[in-house]
This record gives sequence, C-alpha cells and structure tokens, in this order.
Amino acid sequence: MAARIRLPLLLPRSFPPLRSLKHVHTEAVKEPQYPPIVASLTAKSKSARLRQNEERIKLISSSPVEEKLSLITRIQRMKFVVYPQTFSRNPDRWYQHFTKTAYIPGLPEKFNPTTEGSQLATDQPAVPEIDDAAFSEIRDLVTRVILHEHWHKMRKRQPFLYKHQEQVVGPFLKTLVSELTYNLAKYNPLLRLSSLDFSPQVNFYWRRGKRIIPKGHRRGRQEPIRFQIDDHPHSQIRIPQQLPQFAPLEASYTAEVPEIHLAPNVMPLFRRQYDNNIFTGAKLPDPACYGHTQFHLVPDRYHRDRLARQQHSDQVEPFLRANAAASLFAWTGAQAMYQGFWDYQDVSRPFVSQAVITDGHFFSFFCYQLNTLALSVETDANNPRKNLLWGTESLRLYEGVQDGAVVGLDDCVLRLLVQFLMNRPHS
Amino acid sequence: MSVTKMVYPLYQLGNPQLRIFRPSWFLTLVRPGKEQPPDTVQFRIPMDMTKYDVKNYLEKIYNVPVGVVRTRIQFGSNKKRNHLNQRVKKPDYKVAYVQLAQSQTFTFPDIFPEKDRTLKEGSMEEMQEKFMEDEKQRQKSDPRRGGVTEWFGL
Repeated sequence: MAARIRLPLLLPRSFPPLRSLKHVHTEAVKEPQYPPIVASLTAKSKSARLRQNEERIKLISSSPVEEKLSLITRIQRMKFVVYPQTFSRNPDRWYQHFTKTAYIPGLPEKFNPTTEGSQLATDQPAVPEIDDAAFSEIRDLVTRVILHEHWHKMRKRQPFLYKHQEQVVGPFLKTLVSELTYNLAKYNPLLRLSSLDFSPQVNFYWRRGKRIIPKGHRRGRQEPIRFQIDDHPHSQIRIPQQLPQFAPLEASYTAEVPEIHLAPNVMPLFRRQYDNNIFTGAKLPDPACYGHTQFHLVPDRYHRDRLARQQHSDQVEPFLRANAAASLFAWTGAQAMYQGFWDYQDVSRPFVSQAVITDGHFFSFFCYQLNTLALSVETDANNPRKNLLWGTESLRLYEGVQDGAVVGLDDCVLRLLVQFLMNRPHS
Repeated sequence: MSVTKMVYPLYQLGNPQLRIFRPSWFLTLVRPGKEQPPDTVQFRIPMDMTKYDVKNYLEKIYNVPVGVVRTRIQFGSNKKRNHLNQRVKKPDYKVAYVQLAQSQTFTFPDIFPEKDRTLKEGSMEEMQEKFMEDEKQRQKSDPRRGGVTEWFGL
C-alpha cells in the first residue's frame, strides 16, 4: 500500500543498474575444488576392504622388483604344497587346472622336421648348425659317457633299496649334461654365457580360485586358494637372454584347459603354512635370469618298472606331464616375477623354457610357454590367455650296454636333445 | 577257514604267503559327504582292515580294478549326554577312499527317488486330499488384511 512505504526524502535520480551485479561475485571467488569422494580406508565395511585392496595393489605395482616380491610373499597363510613329482593318480589334469596350462602333444614346429622338406632331410644335416661330423662326435661323446657310468665304473656293491636312481643315474646325467653343454658351446655362443646349476632350488607362490571358509571365526567369507611349489630339479641351464616364443600369444586363446570344480585336497593335496618363496635358482641381481633347460630325474619310487609291478603302467605318462607342467610353470613364473610382472601386471611377452625328464633309459622332452600370470579370481575373469605345454612320450635313448658297447643308441632322441640345447634367440 | 578275530601269524623269509579264506569283514558303500572325484568310491570298513586288505578284498572277491586306497579313522563323538547325564559314545569307524584304476568312474545311485504323488481319479484318497485342502483354505485369514489379526476391525 502506497501510504505505508517510507521513501527517503531525497530519491536518487537513477537507481544503480542491477545487471552488472551478477558478474562481480564470480570474478572475485573461484569454484571450490572438492577432493574425490572415495570409500573410507579404515571403516569396518566391505567398501573399505575393497579400497584397502586397491591401495595395496597400487603400492605393489609402483614399487621396485625386490620390494614387490617381498610385499607379495609377506603374509603367511595356509597353502597347498604342490609337489611336481607326486604319487596321486592322474595328477596331470589337476596340475593343468591349477596352473591354467593347456597340453599339446608333440613338440612345436621348431623341433619337428617339416614334411615338405622330407626329401631334403636326408641331404640336409640333422640339426641346422651341426653337420654330420660334429653329430657323430656328439654320438661318440654320449656313448663314452654311458660306458663310463655303466661299464667302466667299478661298483663295490649294488646300490641299496631305492638308491639306484640317485647313485647311478644321477651322476650319469650330470656328466652327460656338463659334457654336452661344453661341447655345444662352440656352436651355440649363448651356452658360453650360461650358468649350469646342479640340484638348484626353484620355488613359486601363486593364488588361484576361491573357497568359502566352512568353519571358524571367518566362516562364510571368501578366501583365495594359495599354492606353493618347492622344486629340486637335477640340473638347469640359465641364460642372460630370453628364448624366443614358440607360438604367438593369441594362439593360446583357443587352447583347452581342464576345469575341475572340486577342492584340491581331494586329489590328495595337503596344506601347510611356511615361508612363501619365489626363486628361479639364483638371486635377483644375477645376470643369467632367464631359463633355458631343466633336467629332471625320475625317482626310484616312480620308476616305470615299479609302477609296472603294481599294474599302474598307465600312470607313467601323466606323472611325467604333471612333473613338467608344475616344474616349468614354477620356473617361468619365477622368471617373470623377477622381471616385475605379477598377478595384476600381466606378462607383456611370453616366457619360454624347456625341460628333459629322464630315468636313465627313457627321455621325455617338454617345452613350456608362460603367457599369463593372472590366475587369481579377479584377474582371471576376462583373461583369454592360457599357458602352453608341449611334450613328447618317453623315448628310449639306448637299449643297453653289452660287452663294452652301447646297443641301440637312438639318433632321433639324440637329435632332439641337441636341438634343445642349441635353442637360442635369433640374433 | 573261517576267522572271527584276525591274528596274523609272524612272517619270516621263506614262509608261504598269508592267505585268508572267507574273511569276516564286511564293507559298506556310503554316499560321500563332501564331493569326491568321479573315480573315487567311499566305504566304511572294519577298524582292523588296512589299505592293502581293502585292495585285495575288492580285487579278489569283486574283481574291481583298484588303483589306490586311502583310509582314515573317524572319531565318534563322546559329547552327547543321556537323561542320567552320562556321556554317550558314538562308535568310531574307519573310512576308505578307493580310487578306481583303468579310468573307471562311479557315482553313488539315488536310492530314494522322489515319487510322483498323482492319485487315481475318483478314489477315496483323492477326495480326502481335496477335502483337507478346502478345510485349510477356509481356516486361512483374508490375504488382503496383510497378516493383521481379526481381533481388530469392525
């Protein structure tokens, strides 16, 4: 109502324009920058747990390799101890499931002579860089080693129960490996820079799959299943450069890995809690950090003669395959971890190693390519990569020793052995 | 030769092999409590049987190709008490897990399959069933009330 308004006695001529008042406020003060809204780190909630895990993953990813290894293997908890040489039945399927390995019978194309060149095979030498004269030298060397161990060596008494492999075949393999490596070093310059270890230790620790804790104060919660391999191969060759891959990474997408939905303790596999170790055979600063070949000895307990007596002859090949899968997975995995790759930082290039498993007469050759280290549940959800294992059946090297001569020395097996040791990166 | 309690004679080198005819051991095939691989069969065996006894028993008497046998003893609890507050012991028993050879598999059969309860048309049982169902429907309160009792209301 007009009469109630008290106007000042002197009204200004023109009121100040209101439009310009709008911009005054924004020029003087900027928009406040709030910190990102994330879940709490210390609350007793699931999101806090997830955030703690993320922080831990970030911390591990950004630390140098030594610290990374110690952070990953710091906490000790109950884990399944996987023995590469095991008495369980059909262990190869179980071990392939634990290590996400697909088995391909036969060796990669590199070691198989091509069928197109079969006519030329008779003209060409057995192994590309080694001509016939050198190959016959190697054959003589091998016969000398066999005769030294089984014919010329004086044995006062026969080895006692279950000591034959350790006391007779062990030294034979040791001399064979060292002599062959030394002789082939003139054809393969990489072997001159290699390191030959005898009875080294290879350890690996990883997590795969989840289980629900059935009893205890943590009942009903999810827990990852942890595994540890502590392997003692007979000997191994480590090199300073990496071997070339046998197959491209994408080729492993179609490979089949056996899936087992039962708990590992049914296999039977037992759990223990002790130090989590990751070790290739040499410590971290060693320049020969990549693996070339491992040599394994079949113990007396799993010798094919003993298994034949117990009517378990069909378990010989699965035993060898499981041994190769576990040992080589542990070795290549440890090599990859030494380079800084782990569960959440998957390998950018495949890691390759070879193995020869023997019981003195029969030799089996295996090649392994590690394509992925991401085996835990979170990282494996969308991971199409699989690890690959190529392998042969057991091949007889020689029939026996008679009257100071080796009978039935097989050239194919020798050729494979030489090819394995001659394997080197293309320079 | 029938044996009641196994007393193994002492073996010395050169003795004939121990032979047991008509053993008084009886195995019980049970359904595994925890899931087992397809080649594993679970038995309850007498306490004095060993792994090798189980293997020989199955191979010789039943011609079952046995790969490997693992045994364990299950402790029967002594915790329950009766009306006189005395502890009642449940008997202990031995369990054998037998893995079959020659890649054979075994699944425990379903002994009590569910029967289809379809009653004959026009029979007494069917009329009784219908009557019982109608009675139950009549006893139930109005679902529109949402669980509220009929004490309240008009």
